[in-house]
Amino acid sequence: MTSWYQRKRTRELALVACFLAPALTIFFLYRLLPLGWNVLLSFQSWSPLKAAAWIGVDHYEEMLLDDDVFWDALTNTLIFIGCSPIAIALALAIALLVNSDLRGAAIYRTIVFLSYPLMTVAVGIIWRWLYDERGGFFNYVLRSSGVIDQPVKFLQSFDWALPCVIAADFWQVLGFYMIILLTGLQSIPQHLYEAARVDGVPASARFWRITLPLLRPSIFLCIVVGILNSFTSFDLVYVMTNGGPGHATELLITYIYKVGFGQSRFDYAAALTVVQFLLLVVLTMLANRLAGGNAGSLER
Amino acid sequence: MQRRQLLRSAAAFSAATVLSAPAIAQTPKKISFLTWNLVHLEAQIKGWIGGFTASRPGVEVEWIDKKGPEVPVYYATQLAAGTPPDVIDIQGALGLEYAAQGALADLTPRFAADAAIKGRYDQDYLANWVFEGKNYMVPYYVSKTLLFWNKTRFKEAGLDKPPANFDEILAAADKIKGGDKTGMLTLNFDWLYWPLMMMNGVDLLSKDLKTPTFKTAKAEEVLTRLAAATKSGAINPISWTGRWVEPNEAFATGNVGMLQAHAPAFFWIKGKGPWINGDTLGAAQMPGNWATPNSHGLGISKGSKQPDLAWDFVKYLTDSDVAMQFSRVASVLTGNKTVDKAILAKFEKDDPLAFQVLKTQVEHTDKMCGNWRLGNDSRVKDAFWPEFQSAMLGRKDAKTALADAERRVARELKRA
Amino acid sequence: MRRAPSWPRHAIMLVVSFLMLVPFYWVVKTSLTGENIYAYPPHIVPVDPHLFHYVDVWYLIPFPRYLLNSVIVTAMAICGNLLFNTAAGYALTKQFPGRRWVVLLFLSCMLIPFQATIIPAYLITSWLGVLNSYLGTALPLLSTIICIFIFKASFEAVPRSLIDAARVDGLSEWRIIVRIMLPLSKSAIATNVILTFIWSWNAFLWPLIVIRTSEMQTLPLGLARFLSVMEDTTGALFAFVVMVLVPGLTIFLMAQKEFIRGLTTGATKG
Repeated sequence: MTSWYQRKRTRELALVACFLAPALTIFFLYRLLPLGWNVLLSFQSWSPLKAAAWIGVDHYEEMLLDDDVFWDALTNTLIFIGCSPIAIALALAIALLVNSDLRGAAIYRTIVFLSYPLMTVAVGIIWRWLYDERGGFFNYVLRSSGVIDQPVKFLQSFDWALPCVIAADFWQVLGFYMIILLTGLQSIPQHLYEAARVDGVPASARFWRITLPLLRPSIFLCIVVGILNSFTSFDLVYVMTNGGPGHATELLITYIYKVGFGQSRFDYAAALTVVQFLLLVVLTMLANRLAGGNAGSLER
Repeated sequence: MQRRQLLRSAAAFSAATVLSAPAIAQTPKKISFLTWNLVHLEAQIKGWIGGFTASRPGVEVEWIDKKGPEVPVYYATQLAAGTPPDVIDIQGALGLEYAAQGALADLTPRFAADAAIKGRYDQDYLANWVFEGKNYMVPYYVSKTLLFWNKTRFKEAGLDKPPANFDEILAAADKIKGGDKTGMLTLNFDWLYWPLMMMNGVDLLSKDLKTPTFKTAKAEEVLTRLAAATKSGAINPISWTGRWVEPNEAFATGNVGMLQAHAPAFFWIKGKGPWINGDTLGAAQMPGNWATPNSHGLGISKGSKQPDLAWDFVKYLTDSDVAMQFSRVASVLTGNKTVDKAILAKFEKDDPLAFQVLKTQVEHTDKMCGNWRLGNDSRVKDAFWPEFQSAMLGRKDAKTALADAERRVARELKRA
Repeated sequence: MRRAPSWPRHAIMLVVSFLMLVPFYWVVKTSLTGENIYAYPPHIVPVDPHLFHYVDVWYLIPFPRYLLNSVIVTAMAICGNLLFNTAAGYALTKQFPGRRWVVLLFLSCMLIPFQATIIPAYLITSWLGVLNSYLGTALPLLSTIICIFIFKASFEAVPRSLIDAARVDGLSEWRIIVRIMLPLSKSAIATNVILTFIWSWNAFLWPLIVIRTSEMQTLPLGLARFLSVMEDTTGALFAFVVMVLVPGLTIFLMAQKEFIRGLTTGATKG
């Protein structure tokens, strides 16, 4: 009896291993191994034409002390992330409006979410055109309403380029935030509101005391998405400004791409990637802490 | 059992895909040829490749063309994958960078073995790709900057000849500006604007390329004057913000007095500006005859599996026959002296204005600037240009900009 | 109980909707208009609308080729996902030693954004010899962790009695999955397919790195290349954009619910 059970057990384990193997291989090859390799590479000097040599923290030294572009890219990435609360707040407002028993709420929802499944490259091209000084929408509106009389070169202005790219990103990601927040809103038990209304609690207090705290997990999720988004906005920046003018819209991810594949300094790019990853981890942990720990979940 | 069968077939399938890929790549006697934005010459290039392979049975040439900014990325990825293109067409100092990284094969021994090949090129243009005393590239097509002046705009401003020095440039630009007209434009990539500095005696680096030499009172004065001219509209700000399309397009509208650009710009502008003819456009050297070259060279990757075949192909492309056809269809000069002489003679007959433009390309080749033999040219450029641009656009004053630029350039030189 | 008047909310939502739709409209208008798109002022309504820009796209660029490449890569990604995620999700429903570590491993992989892996991922792919191939482009996307957990949750919801009955009948494990669990997990499958479709269809950075020849380019790459080849953008670029967006939008509109459910479930899971 026991041996049959053992054989069955072994077969089951073998099956589990087989079934997990393909997925695990993919993740090993494309997530874990690259991360480890990046860390290793960041301490080496390596190029396709020379053998690897250990150089310790040289790359990090260069990055932190000598590399102005790194600091620009870092600042821009942080600004990008810092703007996500604005988008989240806007999305929350829209979610609240759409959540109420408004006629046609489903249509509004769809319209707001329509921009999310689009190819980001296409979004970049669309917004690049909107900002164009000749055929663009914004210049047209500003000029025909008399606010300005010379076209503004939005994407070539050192001061306006980054906000413009961020605005394009907002347009795409607003729908996603809205959906997450809607799901969160809909899971708040109605009887809490009823009880508060009966008690005479004003609407604004109902919002701050009931809605917002119970939305914590959803808001935390939005913040994490916002952080990731600043790292993944490669497509948008590449198509709209390619980091320009100067390095006004350079993000860490676009800089890594340029260093790795433009200057073919794969080792330095690996060091940059490690720093970017650490930043991601730190920011996520910080957001977790601010949301009250445990991914903002409501259980204590 | 079905599951096992499924897994087995999946494994076989993936193995087959993975293993077959490199096998397909192993065709004997095949070289790849990477060109820089020559897709408009597709028919001709295919024809020349055909001519090459026809006389060499069993040989294949794969042609890959990439847009300028895509070439370095492409080359980097191919290097990392261990399959660099055998013959590459590279613009400007990027060739030197690849040579410095050890990506290019040293051509000096090949020149030594075949002195006639070396002798057929203009030695100044050839010298652009000498790094640490070794030749790494062969000129494919050459150009350097010159001054285009809009005779109509000049006449309106009461001027009848191109400026002879820096002061006259600024004065002319100032006279021409007004309304939607601006006085001067320059291209700015690949150091093309450097003649403006050189004619004032400002050089970037010392002769040994180890020290920055541009933080001088004179440089400060030049930068301040250029910035002031940009602010007043005498110099069109696109000079400092555009790359190729924008500045050339602006000049093609006819509203700009002068353009500093290399010869290929002429043919581009001619297509966009119907007003252009011998009476309305003049071509001259910049004051001091200073010019930044922006030439294309052919090199052989060190990782090439067929270096001799690659050298064969390079010789074929730059030989009189093919070079002549190339220069005729692309309207460029090739750096091959006999070919260029013949082409110039032909242009003198057929298109006097183009002749004027192309003539400047072979004159005063000893006064080339902006072409320091730096192994890390793009990084030095990245260190200097943003500061210069900030000064031009009024975001920094000249003194601070130069100081910052010197700090950054010195760092790059130290790291080299 | 007095309800708040609904017209202010409608007004706000109408403004919001307008702002969200303007970019779409502006691009569609530009792709149809007969005027010089660089002349100022641009007209709000297309002047002399014509479809020549769309014709231009068809001839100027190998749109069918890019479309085919995108379709093949996406199809491979979807097939791979269905196969691997189902298998992995099912394996996770079983109890085995080290199960917690495997789950933890998967979750931590989710924390590693793709952008942190591009350079070694490129080197690995080149070592495997599949650069510039359909397989190489689809490889990183052949499995996604969110979908594994979606399948796991869906499988766990299948009543034990059904599975036991099937085992008694002598069905093999794979048959159990195919015959019993998958038909009951239709929404999980739909979600998986849609999410994979969107991620693979829209992928830009990875194909940009891996694909070297223009024949192998996918639609996003074709779009970006079109932008740089025609440095002077023409109406054809915007026709291209419209043509590229139509498949994605159609799929989304047809399967909104599954898509949204997939995002929210996956999001809350990790």
